[in-house]
Amino acid sequence: MGKSTVIPFGPQHPVLPEPLHLDLVVQDETVIDVLPQIGFVHRGLEKLVETRDYNQFIFVAERICGICAMGHSLGYAETVEELMGIEVPTRAEYLRVIWHELSRIHSHLLWLGLAADAFGFESMFMHCWRLRERILDIFEKTTGGRVILSVVRVGGVARDIEDSELAAICSVLDGIKSEYKEITDTLLTDMSVKNRTVGVGTLTHEQAVDLSMVGPFARASNVSYDVRSFGRGAYGALSDFQPIVDAQGDCYARVKVRCLEVLQSIQIIQELAGKIPQGDIAVKVKGNPDPGARAANVLEQPRGECYYYAQGNGTKFLERMRMRTPTSQNLAGMVEALKGCDLADVNMVILTIDPCISCTER
Amino acid sequence: MGFSTDFKTMDAQAIHEDAQMRKDAGWRYVQMLAVNNDDSADVIYSYMRDGLLENLVVEALPRDAHLPSITDVYLEAFVCENEIHDLFGITFDGLAIDFLGNFYRVSTEVPMTIISPEKLAEREKQRKLEEKKAQAAAAKAAKEAGEAPAEAASDISGAKPGEPLIDEEMEAKLASMPPEKAAKVRAAMEAKAKKQAQDGEDA
Amino acid sequence: MGSFHLGAMTLRSLFKKPETLCYPAQTKTPYAGQKGHIVNDVAGCILCAKCQKTCPCHCITVDKAARTWTIQPYMCVQCGSCVAACPTHCLSMDPSPTSIATQKSEVVCAVPEKDKDADADAEKAAS
Repeated sequence: MGKSTVIPFGPQHPVLPEPLHLDLVVQDETVIDVLPQIGFVHRGLEKLVETRDYNQFIFVAERICGICAMGHSLGYAETVEELMGIEVPTRAEYLRVIWHELSRIHSHLLWLGLAADAFGFESMFMHCWRLRERILDIFEKTTGGRVILSVVRVGGVARDIEDSELAAICSVLDGIKSEYKEITDTLLTDMSVKNRTVGVGTLTHEQAVDLSMVGPFARASNVSYDVRSFGRGAYGALSDFQPIVDAQGDCYARVKVRCLEVLQSIQIIQELAGKIPQGDIAVKVKGNPDPGARAANVLEQPRGECYYYAQGNGTKFLERMRMRTPTSQNLAGMVEALKGCDLADVNMVILTIDPCISCTER
Repeated sequence: MGFSTDFKTMDAQAIHEDAQMRKDAGWRYVQMLAVNNDDSADVIYSYMRDGLLENLVVEALPRDAHLPSITDVYLEAFVCENEIHDLFGITFDGLAIDFLGNFYRVSTEVPMTIISPEKLAEREKQRKLEEKKAQAAAAKAAKEAGEAPAEAASDISGAKPGEPLIDEEMEAKLASMPPEKAAKVRAAMEAKAKKQAQDGEDA
Repeated sequence: MGSFHLGAMTLRSLFKKPETLCYPAQTKTPYAGQKGHIVNDVAGCILCAKCQKTCPCHCITVDKAARTWTIQPYMCVQCGSCVAACPTHCLSMDPSPTSIATQKSEVVCAVPEKDKDADADAEKAAS
């Protein structure tokens, strides 16, 4: 046993897409303690509710995170609708879920590419991002934007998708599905990937429950919690929804859960595209939120459960808007998962957790 | 499994005890947040179990309040507690991972407690609207009580008998118009009111 | 064994048409409803300033006295709120993006003087 050394990791590091700093306390080659540190990109977006009214803030909410832009605008709109007691047309709910699931596919494909890159699997990185480009193309065609969609409004959605367009999306997704299966078959059976991920950064079921973990990180430790299973909005129309779980709790399990979630999302979109009812896509929103009215809401983002809180004050500006993002909840779990792993595995563990720091700091 | 939310108030002394009790009963910690009031802050704790999201509101905490930390029960709360400390100035005693105010790099001390000029302006506007509303209501009440319309009119600035209500929406619209246009609209409305009053007298 | 799958996929890509474009020699034709920049058809504009009020980034300025409608295209976030709010539908979203420039510029549209009655009628119809 050598004496312990502190190694700084990040905020700039080749493996990190976002600024996260870790102080790794290492003994020989083993990490024995970790201190996470964030706060490099705090932008004070929550304070902006004072200068942007509840309709305008939706565009600020979208900009909290580039990857979950759709999710944040959806979660914000749902919360304000609950605050003001607005009923959203069913067709709008379906369209929102279709776009949200598409953004989950795009988020997971982006992550898979980055993970492959971290393994040193360049060609797989290219293939993942090539498939992701097709999802972005669907976004561009149906909403007009690639990443920032600006399509959700309080009271509905801004644009409709024609039935012929929906059928086209389903066939594009079929194409993606067959290629995607080839990619995941490679990833999940490849020896070198297994060598790097199996048994690394294990988090037990008890620890995951104890640390209130959310999202794919928790589901890989056999925590069967997914906000979508509450069946709110268009998720209620699904014939069957079971969260994808895995019992191992190691890096490999986390990769596997995310890989399978993409296929699940494709299935959800294809089912909803077949069931979508005709009708209005938005209702007119009148009035302001009541003073002192409060609403809380949760939504399943690609990275896990996100909590939204809104409070009105009688004007068109909200008194308080708050998002608690999944990564904020998972930071403590990340520390636990890192303890006891090899220094060389730290980047693998962090990547499979998929932290989104600018989301967390807002 | 359905989903429902619930808001309850909680005493500041009960925070830690409540967290311990919930942990034992299998509740999942969801989040903590603070809401800034004029000279105090509310802190809201959220927990979830079986699809029930409970939000416990600790109301009217002073600016320099000390709250017990729940990180010894729910370690994952350290993010929110440090954040509330940096942005709202509320101190948490016994924080498991304490950044001592260095969690966020903020350029202003406790930025979320500052009431911005925009917010003050909005409040002023709201207060004026309410005053107008109250005046209009008073005028209406006075008229209903059978007082002479002329007397009521003398009490209320700008309110003419017959058509006294420049209602709040109109007033808000006028405020946002350029002055020359607003003046025109006001004149038109006054003329209309005068005419109506005359009609009333004629009848 | 997995790598063989990926090898086959990569080999297939050799014979397919490329997924990427040689930008800037080739450019992608934008889709019909794509977000590019805001265009004001001044013939229909009544200078009601609804777009100015609804804009979340305050990039539109309406000057009634000078009869001008000004947009700062490099500040605009292409959310489309103004297009939705416009009572006379004179604002529209053009699919081509604002071109790259070394300096930020403004687009000033002079709104021609219109028949007084027609202007008032349009405003009445809008409200």
